[in-house]
Amino acid sequence: MSLEILLIIAFGGALLTYLLGKISHRLRDSFAVIISLALVAIIACLYGRFVEKTFYSGFLGIPLILRLNMLSWFFAIAISALGALSVIFSLSYVKGREGTDLYYLMMLVVNAAMLGIVFSGDLVSLFIFWEIMSWSTFLLISYNRGPALAAGMKYIVMSIAGSLAMLIGILSLYVSFNTLNISQIASVVGSASSGYILFILTAFGIAFGIKNAVLPFHTWLPDAHSEAPAPFSAVLSGILIKMGTYGFLLLLYVIMGLKLFLGLGSGIFSFHSVLCFLGAVTIIIPTFIAMLQTDAKRLLAWSTIGQAGYIILGIAFGTNLALAGGIFHFFNHALFKALLFLAIGAVEFRTHTRDLDSLGGLAKKMPVVFIATLVGICALIGVPLTNGFVSKWLIYKTLILEGSPFLAFCALVGTWGTILYSYKLIHNVFLGQLPEKYKDIQKSPLSMQLPMMVLSLAILLFGILPGIPLKVINSIGTSFGFESLNVTLWGITSETGALNTINIFSAVLAAGIIVWILFRLGAKSVSVAHDDSYAAGAYTPVDKYHYTAEFYNPLYRMIKPFLRDVIDEFYYWIASSVRSFAGSVRHIYSGDVGHYVMYIILFLSLLIFVQMRWKVW
Amino acid sequence: MVVKITQIILSPVLALIVGVFFLGLARKIMARIHWRYGPPLIQPVIDMIRLFYQKSVSHGRMFDLGIVLSLAGSIVVVLFLPFGRMCPLSNSGGLLVILYIMLLAPLGLALSGGQGANPNISIGISRKLILSLGYEVPLLLVLLSVMTHYKTISIVEMVNVQQSTGWSIASWPLFLSGLSYFLILPAILSIRPFDMTSAPQEISSGPMVEYGGKYLALAAIEHAFVLFISIALFVNLFLGGADNIFYFFVKMLVVFMLGLCINAVFPRFRIEQAIKYLWKWPTLLAFLGLIMTLM
Repeated sequence: MSLEILLIIAFGGALLTYLLGKISHRLRDSFAVIISLALVAIIACLYGRFVEKTFYSGFLGIPLILRLNMLSWFFAIAISALGALSVIFSLSYVKGREGTDLYYLMMLVVNAAMLGIVFSGDLVSLFIFWEIMSWSTFLLISYNRGPALAAGMKYIVMSIAGSLAMLIGILSLYVSFNTLNISQIASVVGSASSGYILFILTAFGIAFGIKNAVLPFHTWLPDAHSEAPAPFSAVLSGILIKMGTYGFLLLLYVIMGLKLFLGLGSGIFSFHSVLCFLGAVTIIIPTFIAMLQTDAKRLLAWSTIGQAGYIILGIAFGTNLALAGGIFHFFNHALFKALLFLAIGAVEFRTHTRDLDSLGGLAKKMPVVFIATLVGICALIGVPLTNGFVSKWLIYKTLILEGSPFLAFCALVGTWGTILYSYKLIHNVFLGQLPEKYKDIQKSPLSMQLPMMVLSLAILLFGILPGIPLKVINSIGTSFGFESLNVTLWGITSETGALNTINIFSAVLAAGIIVWILFRLGAKSVSVAHDDSYAAGAYTPVDKYHYTAEFYNPLYRMIKPFLRDVIDEFYYWIASSVRSFAGSVRHIYSGDVGHYVMYIILFLSLLIFVQMRWKVW
Repeated sequence: MVVKITQIILSPVLALIVGVFFLGLARKIMARIHWRYGPPLIQPVIDMIRLFYQKSVSHGRMFDLGIVLSLAGSIVVVLFLPFGRMCPLSNSGGLLVILYIMLLAPLGLALSGGQGANPNISIGISRKLILSLGYEVPLLLVLLSVMTHYKTISIVEMVNVQQSTGWSIASWPLFLSGLSYFLILPAILSIRPFDMTSAPQEISSGPMVEYGGKYLALAAIEHAFVLFISIALFVNLFLGGADNIFYFFVKMLVVFMLGLCINAVFPRFRIEQAIKYLWKWPTLLAFLGLIMTLM
């Protein structure tokens, strides 16, 4: 199957879904699911193929090219799989709401556009698909109306700024090299001066940095992620922002190449170390901000920024282990963050709130969602036997052994911060006492549970047998010119410290079984109701009686003064100054014809004066 | 193969014996410092056995599984730590893996406690997590200095190098790191002055408040393991491990006694004071140690 047919299926299927929605909603729903599953199947069949092909040559004389290699395949499979799962989750999530036809259309279009991005072989098609993605994302973020409109606006303004930067980069590349074919640029870019390369890197870096929410371009993300509909938040956080990651990989390793990228500048002022530094800052600050959040999705959104920092750090560090860790972490983050957003979406679907201060005790009411969240936060923290552990291990190891302990320190402290906010998330939503008003709450529907189960199983599978994805990642790394890693099914062997997940797995399993037997041997325990707890003889209130509001209060008091989002305030300051400047310019248009005649005369006399004085024309 | 399996079975058992012995010893010595007579040395064993046969309450599946996970996690860490010449599962990811598996124990307790639905538990866990963030900052710096110094993440490798070139605490940069580790040891163990996480007079023992019977017994065993692990880690990283198990335990005993003397005479910190302390002196020392290691 060729790539253009794949894209035609993706875009055409989206349109057809919209049209079918006009006939019957059930038909539309099943068609959307079939299309998204079909994409997964087709892409899975394309594994290991290499294609490069011009599909249209008439666009202003520039040939448009599609191509497939290991890197784009790996991204494509993640995109299509997450897309399919979120569409399945949407079935009951958006049921009975207005504008669902448009919702499904946009979900599938975003999916198709992302596939287009990773299959683009030239920068024009990349840019076109990039814009389709940005605009359809805008519509989806604003789907809920209300505060979502403002969030969408913030997103699209920053996105356009990024696109403009990218356009400048593309135009400049075309002027310099007279081609926009990615592989052709890659072969000639070495001859350019280092100043020019730095300019190109900055232009594209801004575009990709905004999508990837690298500090200081992160400010659109918390609003957008928390206001978007839950299944789309999962796509947004799981895969859409990773288009920035894909962009960075394309820019740094495919176009520039390893040598050029690492050789730019020297010491701590080189491009590579600045990017690493940005990655480290992106890990630390958002992690601490995430602890302060009381909105479950906002907490996850800040956490997304923090985790994106690990990916950037891994990619920017530029060793084979770090690159493998970075790419693997992109994949893992797609799985576990999508899972967490879906789980919170399922909670919100039943309780109509995601306020961490008012929920509680849902573990017994929604066991599947609870287990999914538990797996999700374990992977987020990087507990061994989940996939998050392996990717973080790779990044830490290379940072330590290559002599960058401070970067490793940032990454590790970020992880310990992650424990705090993840525990807050699971404790405040699922543990503790069940508030009276959620007493009769129902289990979540099967179409919501299914994607969560699939994602949980994938997380555990790739955590215990990380060799499956690492094999693909390793071949991406070698295609970039890195030395191959010794990947086995259960980890990595090397002289400086190997990883063996199967040992850890069997040890945990054996110890768990032994302790469980010990536990069963003890005197039997009596099961009591959740409100039957020790209160030193005092009366226990019936409604919510456990501590969730301001969960880390002592820590808040200490760190809150340091955690103002200065960058966001700065952007708002720019926005408001532009607005007030535009407001004052508006006064020129007074509506009085006399004033306009006066402007014309003044302008003409200025021109005459200039001509008489300097003789320009 | 047979040797390996014996080691795998033997090492948690030894760790448990040593840990429980330390618990008993701690109570005895503490009593003597306070001019009391104190309970007999095997009191913790008696308590554990008695608790196993006592009735208890359960707050649900997670309440049970959490405590099991917590103890299992601690046992697994022991398998990854070398003591003496024994190290059953050394070649599975090194110090980074140990660091991460050490997470399972507090995570399990926190999940189990959360299901208990008691404000005392939540407050205790919240404090415990803040405290752990507090001591992890210097601890991570310390571990990073050690790993950077020896250019490996394998703990067995570090012990081997120290066996031939001398203890790492005797070399300059790592002396600072070792000192820093020693200063945060009570915080890692949540013993006084850092026992605000389970302060009996304030929050009714915090995370332990809903535990009774076998839950309490398992929690006590878990505590014994944690005691063993954090001191054994210190001995391995800074005091050169040991040639045989006996020397290893002697070294552990010395470290433990020194720590205990500090522990016995200090009053309890508030959580903010604890964080301020942890992020000041130990962090500064660890930071200096790391910079000197790099130079």
